[in-house]
Amino acid sequence: MALLEIKNLHAEIDGKEILKGINLSINAGEVHAIMGPNGSGKSTLCHVLGGRDGYEVTQGTITFDGHDLLEMETEERAVAGMLLGFQHPVEIPGVKNIYLLKEALNAKREAQGLDEIDTFTFMKQVRELVASMDMDDAFLHRGVNAGFSGGEKKRNEILQMLLLEPKLALLDETDSGLDIDALKVVSEGINRMRGEERGIILVTHYQRLLNYVEPDFVHVLYKGKIIKSGDKTLAHRLEAEGYQEILEEAS
Amino acid sequence: MRQGLPDWLKTALPQTAAAPATIARTAREQVETLGLPGLRDEEWRWTNIRAIQRGNFSAPAGVGADIEPAIRLPLDNPLRLRFIDGVFQGVPNDAPEGLTLTALADADEATRQAAFSPKPAPSVENPNDALVTLNTAMAREGVVIDVAANATIERPIVIEWLDGATESVMSHPRVLVRLGQSAKATVVEHIETVGDQPAWRNSVIVSTIAANAALTHIALGLDGASRLATERSFASLERDARYHSYNVQLGGQMIRREYDIHVGGSGAHTDLIGLMMPRGKQVLDTHTRITHAAADTTSNEHYRTIADDAGRGIFKGRILIEEDAQRIEAYQSSNNLILSDNAEIDAKPELEIYADDVSCSHGATIGRLDQEALFYLRTRGVPLAEARGLLIAGFAQEVIDEIPLVELRDWLSIRLEERLGEQDLAGHETE
Ligand SMILES: Nc1ncnc2c1ncn2[C@@H]1O[C@H](COP(=O)(O)OP(=O)(O)OP(=O)(O)O)[C@@H](O)[C@H]1O
Ligand SMILES: [Mg+2]
Repeated sequence: MALLEIKNLHAEIDGKEILKGINLSINAGEVHAIMGPNGSGKSTLCHVLGGRDGYEVTQGTITFDGHDLLEMETEERAVAGMLLGFQHPVEIPGVKNIYLLKEALNAKREAQGLDEIDTFTFMKQVRELVASMDMDDAFLHRGVNAGFSGGEKKRNEILQMLLLEPKLALLDETDSGLDIDALKVVSEGINRMRGEERGIILVTHYQRLLNYVEPDFVHVLYKGKIIKSGDKTLAHRLEAEGYQEILEEAS
Repeated sequence: MRQGLPDWLKTALPQTAAAPATIARTAREQVETLGLPGLRDEEWRWTNIRAIQRGNFSAPAGVGADIEPAIRLPLDNPLRLRFIDGVFQGVPNDAPEGLTLTALADADEATRQAAFSPKPAPSVENPNDALVTLNTAMAREGVVIDVAANATIERPIVIEWLDGATESVMSHPRVLVRLGQSAKATVVEHIETVGDQPAWRNSVIVSTIAANAALTHIALGLDGASRLATERSFASLERDARYHSYNVQLGGQMIRREYDIHVGGSGAHTDLIGLMMPRGKQVLDTHTRITHAAADTTSNEHYRTIADDAGRGIFKGRILIEEDAQRIEAYQSSNNLILSDNAEIDAKPELEIYADDVSCSHGATIGRLDQEALFYLRTRGVPLAEARGLLIAGFAQEVIDEIPLVELRDWLSIRLEERLGEQDLAGHETE
C-alpha cells in the first residue's frame, strides 16, 4: 500500500477552485519532486495535505499510511508522521525555538505511547542536529523564526524534520533563498532522511536542489493538475527548455 | 455637566487630612464641584465608573492587622509596606542605610507639602484630576520612602495593597517616593484582593527623581474580580534621571491606572512597559502622559493588552513635547490581542509636539491570534488549545521579558501559564 495516495483531489479557497483533480501515489522509500510555474497550486496542495482551515476539499480522497487524511486534524496528521516544511516559515516571536522543538517531539512521542523525552537526552540530540545544520545554539533560544534570515528559516525547517523523523516530509521550496553552502547543508539533511521507511516530496523550481537530492519521480503541476510525470530526466528537460514545450506536449 | 459628589462621599470627607492645611482646604472646596468623573468626560468615555458612583463606600473602621497576602512574590528580602484596605500597617524597623521610611502621618510639613504637590499640578479643568483632588482631600494614610543621595537600595521596597478585607470600604492613600542624586531603588506594588468584599482604592504615588538617580517602579495587579481601583502615579525626573515603569494588570472589576511622567532634565529617560489581561467582565484601563519638558530626553513605551470573554482593555498614551525640548526621541507601541467576539480593546496614541527636532514614532495594532502561526504550530503536532496558549503566552512574554527582576519574570511566566490553563482556549478559529 502506498504511503500517500491522492485520488482526484479538488480543492478551493474562498469558492475559487485551485486544485482540479490531482492524482498522486507515493511509496515509502521514494523521493518525488513537484515542479510547476508560479501559481499552479503547489503550495495549495501542501496546505491541503497539512489540513489548513479555509482550504476546502470538494472532491477526492487522500490516504496517508492507512488513515483517511481528510478526517484528521492538522496536529493529528503531524503526530501520525507528516511534516510540512513551509515555503514561508512563520515567525513566532515569544515562543522559543527550543520550546517548540520539545513540544513537537513530545506530542509525537505521546501519540506513539512513549514517555516525554528527558531533558538531557533531548538537549544532546538537538545540539548535535543544530551543529549538523551549521547553525548556532543561540538559535534555539530565539523566538521561532523570529528575525531569522530566509536561509536560516529554511535550515530551521530541516532541523525540525531531522528531529521529528517524519514518515512523509513535504518540503515546499525549502531550497529557495539558500546560498550555495546552505543548499549543501539542507540537501545533506534531506539525504539523511532518505530511507526505506520514508517518503519525501520536494516542491522546487530548480534543478540545482535535484543535483544534490536525486528524485525518483518528477511531476509537473499546472493549473491545479499534474500534467506530466517522469523520472529525473524530466527535471533536466524543464531546466533546459522551460515549461512551454512540455505544456504544449501535454495539451 | 458633571454631577457633584455623591452624598456618601460628601459625608465621608474628613475634618483633618494628611495634606498641609491650605492644600487640604482647597482640595475640599474643589471636590464639591469636581465630583467624580463620568462617562461624559472624554477621558472616561470607555471606562464606566458607575460601580464607584453607586458604591456607597465608607472609610475603613479599623481592620485586623493579621491579614497576609495569599500570593508570595519571589522577591529577595523585600521591605514590606503593608496597607490593608488602605490603612498603613507601619514601617519595618530594618530599613538599610540610605533608606528612610516614614508613615505619612508622622512626616514633617515640608515632606507632606511635597507629597501633595505633584508635577504637573492637578487642575480643576481636568476631569482626570478630580480623583487626585479627592485623594488630597481624603488622604490620611500613606508612607514616605526617602532614598539618600548616592544610596543604592538593593532590597525591593514592596507596597502591599491588600484590598477588600472589610465590606464596601474605600481608601485614599498617598505615597511619596524621593530619590536623592544618583540614588537607586526599586518599588514594587503588590496589589491583591484579600477578601471578596467590594472595595475601592483611590491611591496616589508621587515620585521625585533627582539628577542621575534611577527608580524602577513595578505594579502588579495580581487578581481580583471585585476590586475597583483608581491609581495615579506621578514621576518627575531631573537631569539624567531614569524612571522605569512596569505595569502588569491581570484582573479586577475596574482598574484605572494613570501615569504622569514629567521628563524635566536633559539626559533623562523613561520606560513605560505594560501588560493588561482583562477577562470575564473586567475593565483594565491605563492612561499614560509623558511630558518632555527638557531637551535631549528620551522615552520608550510599550503596552500590550489581551482581552478574553467580555473583557475590556483600554490604553491611552499621550506624549507631549514642549516647545524648547529639542532632540527628543519618543517611541510608543501598543499591541493588542482580542480572543473573543465579546472582548473589546481601545488603544489610542496621542502626540502633541511643539518642538521641531524630534524623532517620535507610535503604532497601535489590534488583532486576533495569527492564523498562520497557529497552523504552523499545529503542523508540528501541537494541539489547537495548546497552540493558542503558546501564542498568547508568547505575546505576553515579550512584555514580561522586559521586567528587570529575573525571579519575578520567571514567576510571572508561570503564573501566566496557570492563568491560561484556566481559560478555555479551544475556542473556534475562523479565518
Ligand atoms: N487565500 C487565497 N485566496 C484566493 N486565491 C488564493 C489564495 N491562496 C492562494 N490562492 C491562489 O491559488 C493559486 C495557487 O497558489 P499557490 O500558492 O498554491 O501556487 P504555487 O504553485 O505554490 O506558486 P509559487 O511557485 O509561486 O509558490 C494562485 O493563483 C493563488 O493566487
Ligand atoms: Mg508556492
